[in-house]
Amino acid sequence: MAKLKIDITDLHKSFGSNEVLKGITTRFNEGDVVCIIGPSGSGKSTFLRTLNGLEEITSGTVIVDGYDLTNTKTNLNQVRQEVGMVFQQFNLFPNMTVLENITYAPLELKKMSKDEAHTKALDLLKKVGLSDKADAMPESLSGGQKQRVAIARALAMDPDLMLFDEPTSALDPEMVGDVLEVMQELAKEGMTMLIVTHEMGFARKVANRVIFTDGGEILEDNTPDQVFENPQHPRLKDFLNKVLNV
Amino acid sequence: MKNKLLMLLTVFITLFSATIVKAEDKVVKIASDSTYAPFEFQDANKKYVGIDVDLMQKISEMNGWQLDQSFPGFQAALDQLNAGQTDGVIAGMSITDERKKVFDFSDSYYASSVVIASKKGNKISTYNQLKGKSVGVKNGTASQDFLSKNKAKYGYTIKTYDEGSQLYESLKVGTVDAIMDDEPVLRYAINQGQDFEINMSGEKIGDYGFAVKKGTHADLITGFNKALKELRNNGGYDAILNKYIKTETEKDIKPVKSDYRIVSDSLFAPFEFQNSSKKYVGIDVDLMQAIAKNQKFNITMDFVGFQTAIDQTQASHADGMIAGMSITDERKKVFDFSDPYFTANATIAVKSTTTNIKSYKDLKGKTVGVKNGTASQTFLDKNKDKYGYSVKVFDAADTMYESLNTGSIDAFMDDEPVVKYAILQGKKFATPLEPEKIGEYGFAVKKGTNPELLAMFNAGLAKLKANGEYDTIVEKYMGNTDSDDNKVDESTMIGIIKNNWQQLAKGLGYTLSLTIVSFILALIIGVIFGLFSVSPSKFLKGFTRVYVDLVRGVPLMVLAIFIFYGIPNLIESITGHSSPLNDYVAGVIALTLNASAYIAEIVRGGVNSVPIGQMEASRSLGISYVKTMRRVILPQAVKITIPSLVNQFIISLKDTTIISAIGLIELLQTGKIIVARNFQSFKVYGLIALIYLVVILSLTIFARRLERNMK
Repeated sequence: MAKLKIDITDLHKSFGSNEVLKGITTRFNEGDVVCIIGPSGSGKSTFLRTLNGLEEITSGTVIVDGYDLTNTKTNLNQVRQEVGMVFQQFNLFPNMTVLENITYAPLELKKMSKDEAHTKALDLLKKVGLSDKADAMPESLSGGQKQRVAIARALAMDPDLMLFDEPTSALDPEMVGDVLEVMQELAKEGMTMLIVTHEMGFARKVANRVIFTDGGEILEDNTPDQVFENPQHPRLKDFLNKVLNV
Repeated sequence: MKNKLLMLLTVFITLFSATIVKAEDKVVKIASDSTYAPFEFQDANKKYVGIDVDLMQKISEMNGWQLDQSFPGFQAALDQLNAGQTDGVIAGMSITDERKKVFDFSDSYYASSVVIASKKGNKISTYNQLKGKSVGVKNGTASQDFLSKNKAKYGYTIKTYDEGSQLYESLKVGTVDAIMDDEPVLRYAINQGQDFEINMSGEKIGDYGFAVKKGTHADLITGFNKALKELRNNGGYDAILNKYIKTETEKDIKPVKSDYRIVSDSLFAPFEFQNSSKKYVGIDVDLMQAIAKNQKFNITMDFVGFQTAIDQTQASHADGMIAGMSITDERKKVFDFSDPYFTANATIAVKSTTTNIKSYKDLKGKTVGVKNGTASQTFLDKNKDKYGYSVKVFDAADTMYESLNTGSIDAFMDDEPVVKYAILQGKKFATPLEPEKIGEYGFAVKKGTNPELLAMFNAGLAKLKANGEYDTIVEKYMGNTDSDDNKVDESTMIGIIKNNWQQLAKGLGYTLSLTIVSFILALIIGVIFGLFSVSPSKFLKGFTRVYVDLVRGVPLMVLAIFIFYGIPNLIESITGHSSPLNDYVAGVIALTLNASAYIAEIVRGGVNSVPIGQMEASRSLGISYVKTMRRVILPQAVKITIPSLVNQFIISLKDTTIISAIGLIELLQTGKIIVARNFQSFKVYGLIALIYLVVILSLTIFARRLERNMK
């Protein structure tokens, strides 16, 4: 039996009077590569952001890597060191070079010496195919390059699991492939990954689980084959019709 | 023919040599009255003594004259002078216009006055106290004239006597409650043991002068004036006076402070203004210094502006003020005033080319300018309906003068000495109407404080009036003798710069120092508050909100004035000690508070303009809020805020002009002071504007460079 990584029970999240998550209960195991799909505004991003405390939890329990996020005593900074996150808008620090972006967290948190961090960063850059960009400033990179640096930055902390929040949505189509390739490589290495995405092909090929959310609820949770070949819920059917038959 | 020529030559040579002999060892014949104590009278040894006698002897000694004194009596002395039998007359003789037609007079050596005296213990210090009482006076004297004229006003009855001895006796036995007589005569009587006392200042009736026949002996007048001046300076004059007249100053008034801070207006010529060598001079200044010297106390005078002087005196920042301030009932509620030292008239002034204004009636339909808050304004407002003119109010004299020149007003009303001084300085104004008496100027202390200072001022003033120094001071500024300002030409830009650059540089120094010091402090405070305002803490956010709204909601000038005057006043009312605040410190605090509120907003704006994703990305890596701020958000925010901060710096620099409201002499106030002296408002203010422009433009260019470099 694979190790339990995330345990979510009856998670609710509201922004004021607007309830975005309406009671989500699910579990993720070590090595899971889960794609979360659904229409815009269905609460997928919010769901992801509750998992590293970027969004406060209104009610329910969320236990990540053994940390109870709803417990006010939990050190969120500690949790976040173990949960990497990649954003739609990359969010690289424009005042730092590529290398500095990657070594920033390990050095700030004194997890590594400067040399160690440096070597590790160069390794990661090699891994994402950007060895030559170490001293570049983020503004000189293309979108795809930026996102790969952002992945390297998250990996620099040696996270236990990775959250991807629509990592390719802001990219020009010809850049998407490079990023997905890096992610696929990561999945192969056994990284636990939760990916909010619209890349159905990627979901089908790489994920071992696909979750369909709409209206703040999980409507379907199954293997990619089942979700894409044999969708059960009418709204999933409707959604797939719209996304796949454009 | 030859003989005649020879004779003429001989006469000529004799005359010439005689002149030389005269200059070497000159015999000067002086005639005086026979008995006019304390000026001339015989002492117990039948020897003539007295103020005139001693003074003349001293002056002759100083000039190397051989003095030949005779005492034929007043009328006889004048007759001898006219006949050329004597060279000069000194006889307690008043300088009158009539006499000036036949005599040449020296400077006044004594200001004669008449005064009320009472029996010792019955203190009479105002005319109002005489209501229902009887006052004795000698027949045919100036005192009698004065008493008769003011009888209805003060409600006393007059008893007339032929002899001084009768007058004094009736006061002694109580037939009269008070008497009025010549002040020196009365003081001499008191000095001789009469049981009277004088508690009022006298009414001036004339100046005594030394006289020669008109057109002759100019050297005697010059020599007399020169020696008199020297005697006044070295105390010899006072020594003679004290010998015969016991004055109030002998009542020991001791200063209780080692140094009194006296504040004054900064620009009220001829009472206080800077002369061309940047020194403050004027009637108030010279008078105050002369009184301090006379009464042996030390003063520091600061020229902070009229309103500021009032505020500072009220806040006990200053011990007293002398600023051409009229004594009014309103002001008496918060000030104690000295005896009046100057009677102020206000007069209507028009352009010298205006001929159609000859009475107040001619002002119908015209616009008359006046300075805000002055007695002239009160007068004009009161008579507005009567004469049908409209009133335009100005804040400063120079703008009012300019308006008259440009024709936007037809006339203006201002204090007579001020107008006279302006005309003296070359303004082309005329004063076609009789001046209006608008009040009396007094030296003031905060009500209930520094009584000894007031007493010393009164005693000193009385003494200066008595010895003529007072007149010398007033004439210096209102007569035609003032040559001081003709030394340097301030009518050209170059002249103005040449003569004032040090002062302007000092003003600019203050402006820059105020700006820089307050901006650095504001930057520190502003950044702290700015960070509070973007912090997750609701308390810090709210606290900052209140701070920013409070400070931004109060105009800077109000803030400055509140800090400078209000805070010390509050502290005084709590602790009971006066706690004056330095004007520079108050200015820095006000500017710092003001700028810090704006900087807090700039910082908030800068931080908020960094995309939220930056914070999230850093936090998602497990980095704390504070570290994220420092390493990620602020470096980006600073870049964004630099132009705004430079802009705020420029605003702060401009705001320093507002600090002139509390009397700090920064660049603008420096300009105002210079204009008050030379009336060159266009050139001086133009120059001031130019200096600000140059400084601010250089800052702007620097800011642009900085911005470019950061990109």
